[in-house]
Amino acid sequence: MKRTLTILGIFGIAILFAQTAANLTEFKENIASQKTEAKEALGSYRFDGSKITYFNFKTYEQIKEVEIYLFNNTDYRFSFNGKSLPFDISVQIYDKGKTASDRTLLKEFTGLQGQNLLVESSELNTTYLEKTGHSGRLKRVFVDYIITAIPTAENKTPTMKERGAVVLVMGYKN
Amino acid sequence: MIKTKKILNLSAIAVFIALTSCGGSSDADTNELNVVDTVESNAEEQMEQLFESPAVESVLPSPLQVASIFKKSGLSYNSDAPSDPNLAESYTTELKQMLNFGVYSADMAYCVLNDQANEGRKYLMTITDLAEKIGMETVFEHKDLMDRFDTHIDNKDSIEVLMIEIHERTETYMDENDTRFKEAIHFAGAWTEGMYLGVYDYEHNKDKEDVGSRVAEQMSILKNIINGLEDPRNDGMDIDWLLTEMKSIQDTFNGFSSVDKYYNNPDADVLVLTSKEYDELGTLIKNLRTKITAA
Repeated sequence: MKRTLTILGIFGIAILFAQTAANLTEFKENIASQKTEAKEALGSYRFDGSKITYFNFKTYEQIKEVEIYLFNNTDYRFSFNGKSLPFDISVQIYDKGKTASDRTLLKEFTGLQGQNLLVESSELNTTYLEKTGHSGRLKRVFVDYIITAIPTAENKTPTMKERGAVVLVMGYKN
Repeated sequence: MIKTKKILNLSAIAVFIALTSCGGSSDADTNELNVVDTVESNAEEQMEQLFESPAVESVLPSPLQVASIFKKSGLSYNSDAPSDPNLAESYTTELKQMLNFGVYSADMAYCVLNDQANEGRKYLMTITDLAEKIGMETVFEHKDLMDRFDTHIDNKDSIEVLMIEIHERTETYMDENDTRFKEAIHFAGAWTEGMYLGVYDYEHNKDKEDVGSRVAEQMSILKNIINGLEDPRNDGMDIDWLLTEMKSIQDTFNGFSSVDKYYNNPDADVLVLTSKEYDELGTLIKNLRTKITAA
């Protein structure tokens, strides 16, 4: 009897483990195809690199930041893919990091969930010059993902429905 | 349907692992449960780690883009400047292999952009060998990379596209294997070599002010390379010496009066160091490059 119960227990745990592993594999496979889609959206811009930002939605708002370098008057295109987002988020792009009190908001958008959206460095530079009056170009930008608070989220043991990621692929004009 | 199959396959594997050690005694039962518990908690742990990206991250430029920036600024090809591909055999530690994977990637980009495709081919062979040693052989497993290189050896654009593909495959490999944190080590090698090639050219042609400006511009990346190297998952790689060298370069650069003036003037477009500052920075870069490429 004890042995049967043990085997049943093992089987139950094994299914849980397998479910977790399968969820992870499926999520990663989706991310890989979304990265391909984001890269294709770069068009004639050359692939330069990518960053996948993973997070769990929680009952409180969170911010994840990605710093991007803009070199030598090169034009860049940023391709954001939000097809692994179970809820929408807000994307804000600044000239300085989140610890700087004097930073300038260059662009903000929502509606990334289920979409692939593009941003170009030229429009960020134009806004930067308009808002700050500086004559120098942007040397870097900081992309902030404002991860919305979800009141029903399980903070300690998130379900797959509360897990999300944004794929960012960047390219430069050769 | 595919997902259900995966779950069944994975649960069958997990049950098999547990049952193959079945002995029948109560101690054995406890051990079996512990094994499965450990396997499950590892999967959960992996899941939790993946979904907690750091609060601040950065996107580092590809070796091809860095080489392209220098090329556009007027950097010339110097056949003596790139690292000797024959040295690759002498790199026996994982750290040296990973660092020099980056070094040779930068050298390959440098050769290709300067119409030295035959030299570039040597570096492709070298990084293929090093990739195998550091467990990234799948990036280069398709022989088509070398075949395509040979087919398009006279077409610079095609070779550049191939280099982009290598960079992308490397990233994908790291993403799939949750080893993206190691990127900072490869990049430390590539960055040092890119800077060395810039310094080398500038030292031989001091009139190339734009090359000097690009060297200064690339210094902005260093802070994030250091942050990447300091990722606790890189512990055990014996990178203290590398961090010390890189921090010393960062501190020296931050102490330059030209740098201070530049960062306090939002209208400043290009950072130009004084001759003395370039010399000091150049010496530190050369010293670091010597240590990275030494056997």
